[in-house]
Amino acid sequence: MIAELILATFFGLLLLGIHRKIIARIQRRPGPPIWQEILHMLKFSFKTTWIPKTATPVLFVGVVLIAIGIWTAAFYILVSGGSILVILGIYMLHKIVEHGFGLSSGSPYGKYGGVRSVISAASEIPLFVSVAVIAVYTHSLDLSAIMQYQQVHGPLLIIAFPAACAMFLVILSKMPFGPFSIVEAKELVSGYKTEHFGIWRAGLEICNGLKTFVLLAVFLAVFIGPLSLPWLLVGMILLIVILAFACALTPMMSPFDSVTIQMLVTALMLVYAAIVLLVVHP
Amino acid sequence: MINLIGGVPLYVLEFGDELVYFTPYTITLFLLALTFTVLVLISRPEKQVDIAFGGDAYRTKEISVSEMRFRRFMAIACGLATMGAMVTGDIFNFTLFTAMVGITNVGIVAAVKSLHVQDAAYQYGLVALAATVPLFAGAAIYAAVTGSLSMIELMKGTLPAVPLIAKGMLMLGVIGEGMAPFYAAKAEMFRAPGAPYVIMCSLSSLLLFLRVVEIVMLG
Repeated sequence: MIAELILATFFGLLLLGIHRKIIARIQRRPGPPIWQEILHMLKFSFKTTWIPKTATPVLFVGVVLIAIGIWTAAFYILVSGGSILVILGIYMLHKIVEHGFGLSSGSPYGKYGGVRSVISAASEIPLFVSVAVIAVYTHSLDLSAIMQYQQVHGPLLIIAFPAACAMFLVILSKMPFGPFSIVEAKELVSGYKTEHFGIWRAGLEICNGLKTFVLLAVFLAVFIGPLSLPWLLVGMILLIVILAFACALTPMMSPFDSVTIQMLVTALMLVYAAIVLLVVHP
Repeated sequence: MINLIGGVPLYVLEFGDELVYFTPYTITLFLLALTFTVLVLISRPEKQVDIAFGGDAYRTKEISVSEMRFRRFMAIACGLATMGAMVTGDIFNFTLFTAMVGITNVGIVAAVKSLHVQDAAYQYGLVALAATVPLFAGAAIYAAVTGSLSMIELMKGTLPAVPLIAKGMLMLGVIGEGMAPFYAAKAEMFRAPGAPYVIMCSLSSLLLFLRVVEIVMLG
């Protein structure tokens, strides 16, 4: 399990590197090498570390450990084929972790990053609607059962295409340099992670790598079905390429626009869920 | 049904007809509430830095010991109520814990000696007060229709189906009592230092939302 966890973290960081590289090439920049995020993580692990004088030290350090802990739990659930509801619960709790990162330092940049993180919680509601639709079709929320359903009936990507779009949008909202990346906007320096340096930032990078791996793997498991490891990795690379194009070709929105669009998607998803419940599966 | 939603039950603790149960889902939420409650217990508030607009001046905000003690007490009470709401197997107990989370959230915000923050606390209090009506009405409809408030009984699928209106009212009540992720967009509570306590407001709201999603999918 520990070996898989480390490999997943490194592959997740590599995916984030590919994401940065593609965005750079679309914008006609050379961009960093694709292993840059791995180098970042290793570099921060050996850099000088401090806790700001204004910070609440226990929370400042505690959120880093919680961030790694929750995504390790999510990875375990993914591997063991557990309930998708737990993974999505963990995904939502990541907001609180970002909130903790931002507020714990006392920095105004971190604080506004943390506040934006909480207000963008609107992006998570389509996720629950997607889950409800999946439950209607598959009569289960266990990943293993959802994959079995797809072996018999075909991929949910075709059967429940709007739910897949909603979940894709949710993953897009978590990608750096994307249209919904308001928590890391440049006017906030680095947003909620502005004050976390050295080993604390390395911990955050580990969390980001693991989070990217888990989210993409869950998307493929839920909407494509069971895949062998090579195909899973190919699928994740394809997905990150699509996400990179979406991020490179759309400008970052203002916080107000970002939340408004996410609320509109939520409304559309509620209508879709109602149609599925009342018409397709009464 | 319990296997389908929260995972296989790991432990059920019975107090007569009341019960507490731990599934992988509820235990994950419970442990997070516990972790953050311990963090509140042992953390000191940060010194929030404010930058003066249009200049280089900045200042740090201090928090008095009496204010800190009261907010910490409220945050711990909020954490305990949240833990209760995460593992209870009774819908009425869930609504009671939810109402307690609403009260303690108001307490965490209202203790700050700032006009803007107290305005936010007052408005939040009004919303929380109004939300108790659909919250308890939802639970009452559950009892009236099914004759039971036990989640385990609802999971068995032998009781009459719960009307959508009851589920909607329960959800509306929870959103009103612990709506931090939504009202944070307007509230002035972030003007106040005290990250561990403010985070407890957001965490309790989010955990309640995650739990009520599970509850409305039963029965």
